[in-house]
Amino acid sequence: MTSHTRRKLRLPDQIPLNPLLDLWDQQEPEGPDATRIYEFYRSLADGKLVTTKCMTCGRVHFPPLIVCPNCNGEDLEWVEIPEEGELYAFTELKLGAPIIVEDYAPFVIAVARFGDYPENGVQISGMMFDIGYEDLEIGERVRWEIMEIEGPGDKKRYWYCFTKV
Amino acid sequence: MIGMREVAIVGAGITRFGVREASWRDLVQEAGKAVFDDVPNLDRKDIDSLFVGAAQPERWVFQTHVAPYVAELLGINVSRVISRTEVACASGQAAIRYAWLAVATGLSDIAMVVGVEKMNSKFMSVSQSSMINVGNREFDGVNGFTAPPFFAMVAQRHMHEFGTTSEQLAMIRVKNSYYGARNPYAQFQKEVTVEKVLGSRMVAPPLTLFDCSAITDGACALILASEERAREFTDTPVWILGGVQHVDSAHTTNQFGDLSHWVGLRKAANDLYSMLKISPEDIDMAEVHDCFTISEILEYEELGFCRKGEGGKFIEEGESYIGGKVAVNPGGGLLSNGHPLGATGVRQAWEMVMQFRGDVPKERYVDGAELGIAHNLSGMAQLHHIMAYSINKRKDLK
Ligand SMILES: [Zn+2]
Repeated sequence: MTSHTRRKLRLPDQIPLNPLLDLWDQQEPEGPDATRIYEFYRSLADGKLVTTKCMTCGRVHFPPLIVCPNCNGEDLEWVEIPEEGELYAFTELKLGAPIIVEDYAPFVIAVARFGDYPENGVQISGMMFDIGYEDLEIGERVRWEIMEIEGPGDKKRYWYCFTKV
Repeated sequence: MIGMREVAIVGAGITRFGVREASWRDLVQEAGKAVFDDVPNLDRKDIDSLFVGAAQPERWVFQTHVAPYVAELLGINVSRVISRTEVACASGQAAIRYAWLAVATGLSDIAMVVGVEKMNSKFMSVSQSSMINVGNREFDGVNGFTAPPFFAMVAQRHMHEFGTTSEQLAMIRVKNSYYGARNPYAQFQKEVTVEKVLGSRMVAPPLTLFDCSAITDGACALILASEERAREFTDTPVWILGGVQHVDSAHTTNQFGDLSHWVGLRKAANDLYSMLKISPEDIDMAEVHDCFTISEILEYEELGFCRKGEGGKFIEEGESYIGGKVAVNPGGGLLSNGHPLGATGVRQAWEMVMQFRGDVPKERYVDGAELGIAHNLSGMAQLHHIMAYSINKRKDLK
């Protein structure tokens, strides 16, 4: 046995958060992270919540799509989701939040219906802040609101949440 | 089903479920040893196919291509079919289904099933982040919409529409804990009371900690054989009568419709009953997917054990205890055993085997049972899987 110093591999002190743990889409119009429903994210930045509607069969989609799964049509139009909807169900996540939103827990998670669901409307989930489970009731009016997602780095992205009307 | 061979489970082995001080591959080896010990007449060279149920090894243990790894760990040379199945929480039953299909069609003569999941680590919120992508990550997961909030809303709607109570939910946990306390492999082996369930920490109202199954490590393995070979290995083969799956085009909240009705389960159950020409009254025992207490209540209803909306009353009247209309989760369910995703569906089949062999403590033994079903759901309860097991062959079904 020869005695010598063991080779060391020095790893970085900090490994950046795995992008898979970042729940929000990269919201890129081009490049390898591009999404073909970028118009959805661009509209959020403009203060509008939109989705696609099939001009061939009339189906309203959520999430927005590039091909209609009902009729295979590609003639889709962007339509606005009404600002006010109805609270269908809700809870408040008190334990077990995913790492990226852990600092915001507890928060309310709700499912609300906008427009004439299911024929001509959507049923979507959303977070609610500064409000508790006890402050809400099934059937109450809620509205969607745009929020900004800051970071990592200088990147700014957009999403929506619900507030009580 | 015409022309298909009868298929039996001839061996079953399980690990202790829980927060295990054991790695993913330790768990695979433990379950493998348990099943080989259970079938001493089996030469592992005779196993021609391997099906591995594993939901998220690439997230929890950063390993993909796991089926050949399992073959290596268990010393199996596969000459016919090898595959890993992933349908989240039902990955285990899916593995059994494909093994059954392979043997039934003659592609395989002796197939092995291994269900495994290693979910615990020091970083629980990272584990939760892995659970969130079972739903639509980009449009629901992003709102913190993991399983507990989803099933909490199912409970809220069921209470709203049918008057189901938190006490009735708690009674599900009380029953399953009673049986779990008599299952040495279960994660939780303590009986609980209604008060204890109601008084435990709130996870997502109306669900408390005791209304939820746990994040669990565990593995379970089975050996399946064709009718021609089954008797070489056991005197008590457990026959797989058939299986069904149902999902309506749905992965996102928009497609779920009413949360208080599990249409997919109703359709799957009806398919199974007409396939086997049986009715819910013929079922002696059922291992159902009680990932949350409310799930078991909906399952009573959609499986046809009681009328829609009366699941709460069904547990309150004790109808799902052994000796009631149908013994539900005599193994303790997911609530007692924990829920290592890929292993759960296999554990349900293991319970059927132990029951039919009479190899369980008498307090949780369904004496005289001839027909059992196992229901394994996945995702936000949009995908339902049921298999039927019996001491009788399909052709001998009364
Ligand atoms: Zn269309």
